[in-house]
Amino acid sequence: MTEEEKKSRLAKWTDSAKRMLYGMAGHDMARYALKTRGSMEHLFILITMGDLLGIPILPPYYSLRLLPYVVPQISTWKRRMLRERDLTDALA
Amino acid sequence: MLSKLFSDQPDRRYIMFGGKGGLGKTTFSAAAAYFLAKTGKKVLVFSVDPQASLSDIFKQDIYGKGAVKIMPNLYAQEIDADHRIREYQQEIRKKILDMYGLESVPEEIENYIQAAAAEPAMEESAIFDEVVDIVVGGEYDYYIYDMVPLGHALYYLSMASVYDEWIGKITKLREEMAEYDQVAAVMRREKETEEDAILKELLYIKQRINASSSILTDRAKTAFFFVLIPEEMIIFDTQAAAKLFAKFNVPLSGYIVNRVIPPDLRDQKIPDYLRNRLDMQKGYLEKIDMLFGAEVLARVPEFERDIAGLPMIEKMAHAMFGDF
Repeated sequence: MTEEEKKSRLAKWTDSAKRMLYGMAGHDMARYALKTRGSMEHLFILITMGDLLGIPILPPYYSLRLLPYVVPQISTWKRRMLRERDLTDALA
Repeated sequence: MLSKLFSDQPDRRYIMFGGKGGLGKTTFSAAAAYFLAKTGKKVLVFSVDPQASLSDIFKQDIYGKGAVKIMPNLYAQEIDADHRIREYQQEIRKKILDMYGLESVPEEIENYIQAAAAEPAMEESAIFDEVVDIVVGGEYDYYIYDMVPLGHALYYLSMASVYDEWIGKITKLREEMAEYDQVAAVMRREKETEEDAILKELLYIKQRINASSSILTDRAKTAFFFVLIPEEMIIFDTQAAAKLFAKFNVPLSGYIVNRVIPPDLRDQKIPDYLRNRLDMQKGYLEKIDMLFGAEVLARVPEFERDIAGLPMIEKMAHAMFGDF
């Protein structure tokens, strides 16, 4: 086994170890952080783009300024805000 | 007394006349602009009223034409809110098309853009935003706001503080979101998170609102004059309004009494009608002096005709500021 091979094997091993550690501890935390961020994103869109649901909160002049950035989120957001709560919510 | 106030406080470059509708705010704005321009200052008088009357007083159509030169050193501007809103909508559409490489704006988004523009608050916000552009520009020695009637003026002033607080809250939420992003990125051993474009936009809006409201409430830079006339209702309303303005930290410089019937008419042969009005005004003028004391800066006579056109504005300016 050459030095090169040894190094790459070691690197592979440390990488898998890191992945495993991440899987054990980090993944859940990252998922939690992203989920929280996701809810905040919806909250943010609600208070800036509330007009779309008929709830004016931010002055429309300034919400228009933000509109271009949230175009991709608008459709999923509306679905989430308007849909009825059901059993699957508890599982999510 | 008024002219001394201007020469004593050269840093007060933002001048506002407030008061109920029809008491002479536009007239005073125009006359003050004339006085300052004649004394060598570059002045912009502009209207934040959708039903502005600067065009009428200068006898020149200036609506929506930007800053129009009336005479040397004197410029006037009436903001066309509708035009501004249309331009703004177009800007937003273009941004969406550019950002996502689209051919046309998605229907749902387009509906929203149109609905937002139809909101009643839109016009005020658009004017507010244009005023920020004007005052931040800083190319004039003096800016004279031809204010809308009291209620609107208060709304305008309170809007600044409400907006400011509100945007502050949203910005904070956005910053918290960025923190969660950061946490997730660290956990997943990703590189830097991308910069939050929305947060940048929010901070820009905040900074614009602050620029405008800090000028409005800065005692060192702003002079706010109340216009009133010697009539009972107006005196009551002015007292109440002054209290409200104080609440928003508007630095009140003093009161100017308009439409005072020249008292020396009393010695002439005049009908009872006019004599009664003279007596009535005498009582209310005393009341005004008692209530506002040294803060009453000038008494401006009722003129024999409308104030319109530069020669009449000049007459008015001399009545307010004396010789210059």
